[in-house]
Amino acid sequence: MLAWIARGLRQGRITTGYPRAAESPPPGYRGAIEVREQPGPAPAELRALCPTGAIEVDGGGRVSVDRGRCILCGACVEAAPERFAFVAAYETAARSRGALTVPRTDESTLGPLSQTLAEQARALGRSIHVRHIDCGSDGSEEWEIQALWNPYYDVQRLGFFLTAAPRHADILLVSGPVTRAMREPLERTWQVMPAPKALIAVGTDACSGGLAAGGSLTAGGVDGVLPVDVYVPGSPPAPIAILHALLLATGRLAT
Amino acid sequence: MNGAAFDLPGAKREPAPPDEVRLRLGAGEFDRGVRALRAAGARFVTAFKTGAREPTVAGAFALHGELIILSAPLEPESLAALAGFWPAMSWPVRELLERVAPDSVVGGPRLTEPDASRIDRGVTGLDVFTIPYGPVRSGIFEAIQFQIETGGEDVPRIQTRPFFKHRGMEARFEGLAPERAVYVAERVAGIASAAYACAFSQAVERALGVAVPARAERWRAVYLELERIACHLDVIAKEAETTALYVGQARFQILKEQVTRLRARLTGSRFARGVICPGGVRFEGTMELDELLGAVDSLERDLHRDRHLFNATASMTDRLIGSGQLSRALIENYSAVGPLARGSGVATDARHERPYGDYKRLGLRVVTRPEGDAMARVNVRFGELSESLRMLRQSIDQLRRSDGALLAPLPRSRSGAASGWVEAPQGELLIWVELGRGVLRRVHIASPSLRNWALFDHAFPKDVLTDFAFIEHSFGLTPAGADR
Repeated sequence: MLAWIARGLRQGRITTGYPRAAESPPPGYRGAIEVREQPGPAPAELRALCPTGAIEVDGGGRVSVDRGRCILCGACVEAAPERFAFVAAYETAARSRGALTVPRTDESTLGPLSQTLAEQARALGRSIHVRHIDCGSDGSEEWEIQALWNPYYDVQRLGFFLTAAPRHADILLVSGPVTRAMREPLERTWQVMPAPKALIAVGTDACSGGLAAGGSLTAGGVDGVLPVDVYVPGSPPAPIAILHALLLATGRLAT
Repeated sequence: MNGAAFDLPGAKREPAPPDEVRLRLGAGEFDRGVRALRAAGARFVTAFKTGAREPTVAGAFALHGELIILSAPLEPESLAALAGFWPAMSWPVRELLERVAPDSVVGGPRLTEPDASRIDRGVTGLDVFTIPYGPVRSGIFEAIQFQIETGGEDVPRIQTRPFFKHRGMEARFEGLAPERAVYVAERVAGIASAAYACAFSQAVERALGVAVPARAERWRAVYLELERIACHLDVIAKEAETTALYVGQARFQILKEQVTRLRARLTGSRFARGVICPGGVRFEGTMELDELLGAVDSLERDLHRDRHLFNATASMTDRLIGSGQLSRALIENYSAVGPLARGSGVATDARHERPYGDYKRLGLRVVTRPEGDAMARVNVRFGELSESLRMLRQSIDQLRRSDGALLAPLPRSRSGAASGWVEAPQGELLIWVELGRGVLRRVHIASPSLRNWALFDHAFPKDVLTDFAFIEHSFGLTPAGADR
């Protein structure tokens, strides 16, 4: 056992300073899609570039991308690099579904329940208990949520603790588009959580259904079943992106 | 690799890509073919519906380094009987029948439509109760349910209930061009994105007769082995967590995060998504190869020390030795694959049985252990980590020395059908694709997770309830792949 402790100590400190210090993704990291301004209206055919229908071209030829649908495949960047680009960013979460669309038009605010949670969190010395439920993810979201408690991210330093019991939980992290068989377990889990509480949709599948949205087997996103306080897009979102969402839900970051 | 050719009298041999043998049987003969294959020592892989005009059942079997695809007119009654004849066929055949001939399935709960609140009792006796564990798990785990019948310690009966996560992913492929459909493949089982993308791409390439450039095959092997390393480290970290060996857990989590970050440096995605595609790979890895090699070396050094400590920690190994014993006979009856099979002495590995891509050159040493317990399955993974690092170094070295094309063009508007396979971290993955005029018409996925989970019900012969988590993690499966 001592050998393990020595081995652990020899590693030194590797934990991120986020959110106190900025954490920058590796160069070329595909964190989100941004729209590049171009003179003149865009052709409506740009829409067809996206396998999940995230690209919109309005009547005036203005292009927008709904990050809540985007699976970060890069098909648009490959076909129209003058219009679309990857940005190496982690902080992509937003407090409303509309605010996931870029360029951003919707100003997002925290819902009343989550607002109360934020106030209470401050009063309680910022200790927050988190619970997760999988509603049909591809399995990668679970890895990225688990990673929050590894030494690189260690969110316990920020007061986020994992709890097994929904009755002890303040925040529910939901992954997946919500399959038929998981609809009722999701509703029951949310029901038994005491108020105030917040719900975070983790990943593009949880935000909109993503590629799994077609067909009648899923609810096409968590907000088809329950109100969502914070949306984190990404396929899957990186641990820092999920941490950003936790901080938004508890009012410790404004955007 | 090829041994004696399997001979089935009365079967019509149809043209097929290399390593694949297609045998067509007449009405009422599927049963005979399956029995002959089992008698010949074949491993069952999957069963699925095919055929454009008349409904046809196809069964895939691995035998002597070949994949045998047996097809015949689909007759629900005789198929249902086969589910009882060969345990390996039970779940796949039940799934097939529930989907294509629901009227033929009578009585009993449906495998593919689980109900979280339904509780089964199979064992009666004083103080025996049923614990429905899942689909909401006590931690950050994927959704699946286990109905555990126990008197408190002994576990006389466990029933695994998959399909809570069924998203209908196979149908999501239909109508898409292969270049776009690979995005669906990557999201069937996200922790094995590269394996799914690669198996799907290989199936398309085999169906259309496309030769992949050698350089693309090397990059694919790099992503596949990095993925295997991440998955194996995940299993080992979870075993350490279950014993409350927190420093050990942290060590293996650190290594896993390092591998994940390497993949992000190489591809922009922490799961190496968006790079493997039908025809090859989309781009060169965006990291200096010397630096990548240095990272592999440092990973190997750290892993060597942590493995030594792990094996020297009695509180860790005591919980794994003898837990979740699976006999060789059980593995063979269920046609189990991956580290699960190799931990019971069955040397099955798709990279070795039917080598594909760079594995034709890499010369894999298949790691097996004879004990059949959770410790053996962890030791197989430790052995495979070393082997993966060795192959990584070899592939990277070849990438450094040579240059070449990354992508072969796919012929437009062509039709064809073929299977593609990859040894995913969880075991052999097979994807069957049918293309019509350049778009996907049908896709069937045989995931290692679904096949291996059928064995979980038998993994508690001498074990008690508190061994549950150790045994579950030693299986190392993903419900997303099983449920699709």
